[in-house]
Amino acid sequence: MTRPTLVFTLTACLTLVVGGCVTSSIDEMVFNEPTEGIGDASVVILGRRHASDYDTEPEFIRCVGRYIRARDKSIRVLDELDFLNALYPWFEPRTAPLKPADLARLMEEGPVADKLSEMNVQYMIWIDGSTVQTDSAGSMACGIGAGGGGCFGFGTWTNDSNYEAAIWDFSERAEVGRVNAKATGQSYMPAVVIPIPIIAPVQGTACDGIAAQLLAFLSSEY
Amino acid sequence: MSPSVIFDGLRHCALALALLCLLSACGTSTVQVEGDFPAPVMEPLPITIGVWMADEFRNHEFFDEAKTKGKRSWSVQTGKAQTSMWDALLTGMFRSLVYLDAEPVAGEATADVDGILVPRVDELQYAIPATTNIKVYEVWMRYKFQLLSADGDTVAEWTMSSYGKTPTAFLQSDEAAVNLAAVMALRDAGANFATNFTKVPAVSDWLQTLDYAPAGPAP
Repeated sequence: MTRPTLVFTLTACLTLVVGGCVTSSIDEMVFNEPTEGIGDASVVILGRRHASDYDTEPEFIRCVGRYIRARDKSIRVLDELDFLNALYPWFEPRTAPLKPADLARLMEEGPVADKLSEMNVQYMIWIDGSTVQTDSAGSMACGIGAGGGGCFGFGTWTNDSNYEAAIWDFSERAEVGRVNAKATGQSYMPAVVIPIPIIAPVQGTACDGIAAQLLAFLSSEY
Repeated sequence: MSPSVIFDGLRHCALALALLCLLSACGTSTVQVEGDFPAPVMEPLPITIGVWMADEFRNHEFFDEAKTKGKRSWSVQTGKAQTSMWDALLTGMFRSLVYLDAEPVAGEATADVDGILVPRVDELQYAIPATTNIKVYEVWMRYKFQLLSADGDTVAEWTMSSYGKTPTAFLQSDEAAVNLAAVMALRDAGANFATNFTKVPAVSDWLQTLDYAPAGPAP
């Protein structure tokens, strides 16, 4: 193995093995859990996007959906974009219902009621929040020349995730639970020729935390 | 192939990449807005509407020239996406849609339509994290609408704004993010128009004259 190949391989291995540390906390308050599961009905997980300075990331919504689907294949989780397109323009940031009572008004639109009935939506889960970088320090210099290139230095940064899921029972037009997930983690990037990112999976931890609670609510097996 | 040849190749690639990075600080970023726009889920209004889209609307382009050295100019071309979105929206909103071949003229009647809608993009603004320090890409648009009677007389004129934003994402280029923000702004324009068209006072009065009293939810 040549020297550059060896350095690259070692770097890749180190990056995969070492990760930054994450601390997380979950708060949950649910009632009227479906003891028999949700049967043939489906669930839709939607991100809130009406705040002025952040958007709930679509990949976070997909992550929560994937987690639930992977662990209980009987739960039908509708794709967010498919749902938004199928019910356009009633779930856009400007028009989306902000409280369960708004659903009744939405159901007065005949074609919307028909479409929702066709989709057999039992639970609508709204997730609001985002992951932001709150702090960073360090410096790194990179250079390149005819003989090659490289970096030297050290960087570190902190990411904070804060998400809240509100569970709406569609048939009762009522909120039946809230789950909050917070996670904080510090990532590092030392660089001696090659930068070695040691990333803290902050958003992934928040996703797993919130999805596990939602799974426990929706599934009869957990 | 020997390892030294591969290493030399990688070195040349790195040099080319560095040069590309330097060059990308200037020049023009061009975004041809592309997206899929769904039809609205609603009871169509029982009227036949004519639509006149001027060439400047069909080929709408926003150009922001770099004011200082090291900044990039931006060209955001929304015309194709505008046409696509408004076609899907208006087709679903009205019983029948007729595209006009010529600009309507006051006093000249257009056959087989109840009214004529003339949309115009009055203004477009965009913001990227490099200029605002907020980690979202934003596109804001203001439309001017004119509703004409079948005789070409002005029935209503109003403005409407729309807004779209998208968060920064790993490995997403500025161009891809501005495209997504523009698609969100177009979707918002469609949502705003679809839910508020019948609430514009002059439009509401005009619909009464056609014996159509609008009803429906107020989101």
